[in-house]
Amino acid sequence: MAHITLNQYLQQVVEAIENRDGLFCAEMLSFKHPHVANPRLQLSSPEEKCQQLLEPPYDEMMAAHLRCTFAVANHDFVEAYKCQTVVVQYPLLLSFMKAFQAHKEENWALPIMFAVTLDLRIFANNAEQQLQVKGKGKVGDIRACIDDSKKWGMLFLINQLFKIYFKINKLHLCKPLIRAIDSSNLKDDYSVAQRVTYKYYVGRKAMFDSDFKPAEEYLSFSFTHCHRSCQRNKRLILIYLLPVKMLLGHMPSNQLLRKYDLMQFADVTKAVSEGNLLLLNEALVKHETFFIRCGIFLILEKLKIITYRNLFKKVYYLLKTHQLPLDAFLVALKMMKVEDVDIDEVQCILANLIYMGHIKGYISHQHQKLVVSKQNPFPPLSSVS
Amino acid sequence: MSFLHMTYDRLDSIQSKNGKSMSNAWPHPRRGRGNRHKDQDRANREQAVEQKVKDPVPHGICMTMCPANELRQREAQNRLHKSEMVPGTERDRLPRADVLRAVKEYSRPAAGKDSTRPSDLRPSSVLLKTVCYLVDDIAASKTFQPWTEVYSFVFDRLRSVRQDMIIQRLSGPECVTMLEKSVRFLLYASYRLCGQPLQYFDPRINDTHLQETLSWLLECYREGKHQHQEEFQALSLLYNLGSFHAMQHALQLPGRIRHSPAVQLALAASRAHTESNPVRFLRLAQRLDFMQVCALHRHLLSCRRDLLLLYSHGYNSNNCRYPLQRLSRLLFLKDPLAAELCQVHGVNISREWVIFSKKSFTESPSGDLQCRDMHEPLDDEKWNCNSDDIIHRCA
Repeated sequence: MAHITLNQYLQQVVEAIENRDGLFCAEMLSFKHPHVANPRLQLSSPEEKCQQLLEPPYDEMMAAHLRCTFAVANHDFVEAYKCQTVVVQYPLLLSFMKAFQAHKEENWALPIMFAVTLDLRIFANNAEQQLQVKGKGKVGDIRACIDDSKKWGMLFLINQLFKIYFKINKLHLCKPLIRAIDSSNLKDDYSVAQRVTYKYYVGRKAMFDSDFKPAEEYLSFSFTHCHRSCQRNKRLILIYLLPVKMLLGHMPSNQLLRKYDLMQFADVTKAVSEGNLLLLNEALVKHETFFIRCGIFLILEKLKIITYRNLFKKVYYLLKTHQLPLDAFLVALKMMKVEDVDIDEVQCILANLIYMGHIKGYISHQHQKLVVSKQNPFPPLSSVS
Repeated sequence: MSFLHMTYDRLDSIQSKNGKSMSNAWPHPRRGRGNRHKDQDRANREQAVEQKVKDPVPHGICMTMCPANELRQREAQNRLHKSEMVPGTERDRLPRADVLRAVKEYSRPAAGKDSTRPSDLRPSSVLLKTVCYLVDDIAASKTFQPWTEVYSFVFDRLRSVRQDMIIQRLSGPECVTMLEKSVRFLLYASYRLCGQPLQYFDPRINDTHLQETLSWLLECYREGKHQHQEEFQALSLLYNLGSFHAMQHALQLPGRIRHSPAVQLALAASRAHTESNPVRFLRLAQRLDFMQVCALHRHLLSCRRDLLLLYSHGYNSNNCRYPLQRLSRLLFLKDPLAAELCQVHGVNISREWVIFSKKSFTESPSGDLQCRDMHEPLDDEKWNCNSDDIIHRCA
């Protein structure tokens, strides 16, 4: 296979198209397949040969693909990206629309589209490194190709777009895509793998929008349905699922963290459940680079409020009374080395905890006391928010 | 940044003759100039010439702040601004244009209009001079009044400067200086004209331009070293208080910038805000300099309201009272103003006591209390004084 001639290769493509064999055709166009390393196929101008053997529009598509293998062999990813954009247009714009108008229910060419768009994104990434190409170009090119009538391809394409949007940090572009899937009647029938990817991105987006409940749902789905052999992906999902779970009051076990090599979270978890603000700050500083790179540093900082709650709950257990002097909280915060904190700020933090429903009670300024409810003054976290 | 892409549909002056779009040649940097060695073969040379012809970036040659064409036209149409007229001719039937003081107007891109004629575009040295003139001389001037009019003039002319910059795709230190001065001007205006009637000052439009200019500036900072970077990173954080995007950006800055005092203070304020700790937040706000207050001030009213909201829940008890004086101190407002703020939000006051109740608190203010009323008296003095040193203090 690796060293067949151009004629043999093109003949195989012709057969695959005639047999409507999408999977094989996709292989013939995929850069994961060994034929791309075959120097006999790496041609700078294969147009003529392709025209001889193939019907339009497939001749142009194959010619562009072969030019692309030539460019990749020369490590010219800018050129490869250009060729690939030409390739991508054919399965979508030409064969999909024109050739299929008579056979609306046919979608044998979907695997081709998956293969070529996947390669397109990879080339775009490489090209960007070579020539700081703006993300806008590559996004526009793929987006122009979305074909509503072939809904089975929609989720795959959307996932590819998500990857790009997250990479270029333009999350607002995800919104119309999510709407398209939400309104799709197929949304629960796509393959599990595609749904896992989709929910991973939608979950991350929900997390950045501070919609933690839906974020937990999406990410949990991803995590439980992700194939067990994909440890790396499960780890990626956990990086976002953990902070969300923690914000909702569920702390991960050390065993889980160890299994997925996520011990960076261990001290954070410990600090939050113990109400140890000092440790929390230290843990955030210690793993700052990792947390910032993953984009979860700001989410983890939100755990401070829960840590305050847990710290103050300890104060309550120590004093064993329903009228707690405000000074006691001040002492606790000073012990945690909270910078220039004073009694006014203590009152503000308490007021916020009461407002959020983490403490049931009220502050009496005249008596300088926090008066807490006799029943359940610190409601469980899962019942709050 | 839609601003940057405004010129997408524009045609190159040479290419437009044969009506071919240049959009394909867009992302390429200029090539094929210089390095024409003797040994270069003919094909190469031809290619170089062709690429030079294709070069889509126009280069301005207009050496005055206003192109001669426009100057004559506006003079004839009597469309000169007061500050663009030859002194002494202002009251004439047709005032004369002052070549040294007239500045190119902003004009909307439209179909069939060629905005890329080199004679109408100013090179970056002239643009820099223009920005300095607008911000340092006109905006800071005491003679041109009222300031609302100064604002509309400078706002429009700065916009045309940015347009020239975009068409010529300028970058580099001069570009950074121009953007910095524009940002300072727009920030200052958002403070000084806060509460003005909409026909004089539209905070939304000002905000759109400020955000665009600011994000363009931050984009420029990605390359090279810049003297004022910390200052503007901090201003961006404060202006976009509570924005996840702005904070995430700040966290990813190089340590040298991120750990600078200005950015640290701005980050601390942002943190206090996201942690819903208005007491700490308002205290930190007192440590800001004037320009930083300009950037932050649009958030102050809502932060004060948040404090009342939290306290209405935290102190929600019929038997409890909270001293008004102490509350004013937390809000950093004078007693009467604090009392007024309480009243418009349904918080009851009985002489010098505040009685918080979560039932009576109302989110939307019932009275007409404006952000403007909360500007510090100290700032009001600055309001009247020469804005000169405020806008271009650090430039």
